[in-house]
Amino acid sequence: MSTALVQAGRWPLALPLTLAFMAFFAAPLLMLAATSGYADDMLTRPGLDTWRKFAGDPFYWKVTLDTLKLGALTVCATVLVGYPLAVAYMQSGERWRRLILFVIVMPVLLSVVVRTFAWIVILGNEGVVNQAVMAMGLSPTPLRLLQTEPGLILSLTQIEMPMMLLPLVGVMARIDPNLLDASVALGASRWRTLFRVILPLSVPGLVAGCTLVFASSTTAFISQSIIGGNRLVYLPLVIWQQSLVVYNWPLAAVASVVLLVSVMLCIALIAALGNRAMRYLNV
Amino acid sequence: MTHNPLRRRLLAGAAAAGGMVALPRMALAKGMVTTAIYPGSWEEAYRSIVAPVLKKEHDVDLQMAPLYAVDQIAKARAARGNPVFDTFLLDPGPRVSAIDAGLFEKFDPSRLANASKLQPGMADEYGVTVAAQFVGIAYNPKKFDKPPTGWTDLFAEPYVSRLGLTGFQTTFGTVSILEMAKAFGGQGTDVEPFFAELKKVLPKVAAIGAPASMASLFQQGQCDIMYTNTQTVGTLKGRGVDIEFVRPSSGVITFFTTLHIAKGAEEVDNAYRYIDTVLSVPVQSELMKAPYFMAPVNADVALDDSLPLKSLSEMSGMVQHDWSRINPLRAGWIERFNREVAR
Repeated sequence: MSTALVQAGRWPLALPLTLAFMAFFAAPLLMLAATSGYADDMLTRPGLDTWRKFAGDPFYWKVTLDTLKLGALTVCATVLVGYPLAVAYMQSGERWRRLILFVIVMPVLLSVVVRTFAWIVILGNEGVVNQAVMAMGLSPTPLRLLQTEPGLILSLTQIEMPMMLLPLVGVMARIDPNLLDASVALGASRWRTLFRVILPLSVPGLVAGCTLVFASSTTAFISQSIIGGNRLVYLPLVIWQQSLVVYNWPLAAVASVVLLVSVMLCIALIAALGNRAMRYLNV
Repeated sequence: MTHNPLRRRLLAGAAAAGGMVALPRMALAKGMVTTAIYPGSWEEAYRSIVAPVLKKEHDVDLQMAPLYAVDQIAKARAARGNPVFDTFLLDPGPRVSAIDAGLFEKFDPSRLANASKLQPGMADEYGVTVAAQFVGIAYNPKKFDKPPTGWTDLFAEPYVSRLGLTGFQTTFGTVSILEMAKAFGGQGTDVEPFFAELKKVLPKVAAIGAPASMASLFQQGQCDIMYTNTQTVGTLKGRGVDIEFVRPSSGVITFFTTLHIAKGAEEVDNAYRYIDTVLSVPVQSELMKAPYFMAPVNADVALDDSLPLKSLSEMSGMVQHDWSRINPLRAGWIERFNREVAR
């Protein structure tokens, strides 16, 4: 047993947050789980009927898988776009770093609702992208971007990018530049240095970034419903409809628990992959 | 259902801490009343038009809890007789749900000076109508040679490939779809004809959006025809969008937005003062103008040209729906709509 855990005097400091977590996080979660254990929407008859209805319905399976797929694709897109920027940040001087950090943080200062509606203006039939495409003669008619999965992933990539970059640049800024010099001095190419030195050392940041982006994009109700439209059905939409439009709280609770558990499983998977990658790459 | 003043005080404290700075105003005012209100234009309108008159006439401060109808019901149900607001603002569907759940204090229309100015049936033991909504077809006149005339036009070229659809999540969406189903041969609450037609044209439909995004989608040219209320048409026109309201051949749909006193409300007297203020001629006239376009219910108000009627008595000839029959079916329709349109 580590002595820090049992050392008297440290406990009281952690107590307020622990109690707050118990009261405002753990207790509601238990209530949510309990709500899912009712068979009717007036919460009178306990039973697993709602779970059976959800699990026995291919539509809900598809919605769940689509939600996880959306998260996975958004994670891939943010890594592909964000990682080069993080490398540039790492190799920049103090002034450039400040500028890049400002650019990364700036979108966070805007409300997600505003960012989401801005994407309607960008992706719409008469939006910036389509006007450019048509002016260049690449397509005679506007491309269908809004209310499609690619359009949604594109906008989520921008919306979630700070979640990827902030932990990533935090970790990468701490990489000792001497290691890169040593790698080059020992004859490694730039690419070899990137894959054998920078990448392994940045894995903790990548894992944190992927976790945040995955959790945030799978639950991004506003972006999903405004940009994705109603033809792309994801779990948050089902939860909202069932809890606030038709008051079927048990079904909403089942969908919430499924979302929570499946997202947590995927996050555990990301962490496990990160650990393996670190072990593999360090050998 | 016991009353718990501590809870209200804690909430007021939380609100003050949240930046509303409620305490100094509470100290000065003779009284206050807390109303639930739809976020957005309703909230703005009531803050800028109703609140100053209520303060001037009755020395009562209007506090607002911005909540959509469904959120009000959810909150009130969760509060179990100890509501966080004194009055509800609701559309007909949630109104029926709230009546079923027993969330209203018995309403006494005789306490309102303006009750006699209302159309028959607008005030009852549950609450009172404060605004009417008129729903029909809206289209962009620059994109089509001739305007659509009825609900079936939406599913035919050239309109269908520019159509913006929204489902049963909102009142205007639900009643519009019911009218489409009727136009395709459905009886009463039978929506099958709508789904049958939808299946045929689904790949052509320009957009199927969340209700809150429809105005933006129209403004951005993502769709050029949709179903909506006159209020949205007025707001978009005010922003310079090319949009016209069309009265469907089967008639304009109307439904009412109502105010109700919450069971266990703390400020019942002030709630009546507030409701009477909302119904007064000057307030109703102001609410009718740009940018709010709320259709009045007080017969003494001179009607604006933008409204699809010349006298309030015409409302009785408009299409109305029985929400006590719609509510039990709506959950199934919403689920069905998801399945039908999901890619």
